[in-house]
Amino acid sequence: MPADDDGLTQEALEAALKETPRGAFALAGLTVGLLMAAWLAMYLLVFLPRGSVG
Amino acid sequence: MTGVREEDVVRSELRWGLVTIAAVSVIMIAIIFAGVAMHINPPSNIERVNPQDLHLSAEFTEANLGTRVEANGQITSRIVATQFAFVPRCVVLPADTPVTMRFSSPDVIHGILVSGTNVNTMVVPGYVAQVHTVFRKTGDLLMPCHEFCGLGHSEMLATVRVVPKADFKPGPDGRVACANQ
Repeated sequence: MPADDDGLTQEALEAALKETPRGAFALAGLTVGLLMAAWLAMYLLVFLPRGSVG
Repeated sequence: MTGVREEDVVRSELRWGLVTIAAVSVIMIAIIFAGVAMHINPPSNIERVNPQDLHLSAEFTEANLGTRVEANGQITSRIVATQFAFVPRCVVLPADTPVTMRFSSPDVIHGILVSGTNVNTMVVPGYVAQVHTVFRKTGDLLMPCHEFCGLGHSEMLATVRVVPKADFKPGPDGRVACANQ
């Protein structure tokens, strides 16, 4: 298979690979952050005020 | 390829690993805080009972079901969960008072939750499920079966009538029934 059949130069490929993790971490951080915020909201605003059980 | 080094990848993954460890730690600390400081724990009670003669045994005979104030002042509701009803269908309990709810099943696995509270447990034949709690709000709280138990599951529900402490008046035998409240 020819190396450059998608038209990308090696420099362009490396530049893209350098940028990719930043976007992935931003997306993962946002989704995990929203999940944690929703969990904490349920915990603090619903679960704890309902009081003791056991 | 010289632009992305192996070390950069490892460092990124380690950082993300720390983020996930921090998230799990926050959740674990919150759960331990709820258990230790606020006494919010999953109900746990290992107590065997014979499901075949549940209605004949001392505790879960029909005459002994419902709410009773024990000799030591402990307020206990005893409820049988059976296909497809709770017996009794309504129990009275006082607000702002420690109470105990005890359940058992003669047939299949049921489950209960009391709406708007943290009361939630499975009711497994052969065992007594027990929940200690303090109700903070008064009113009729719905208590449905939340474990699919057969064709009539959706009709299986009861009411927990939480009354103000001053209005909780047991009879001479210590019993309190919904009809009197």
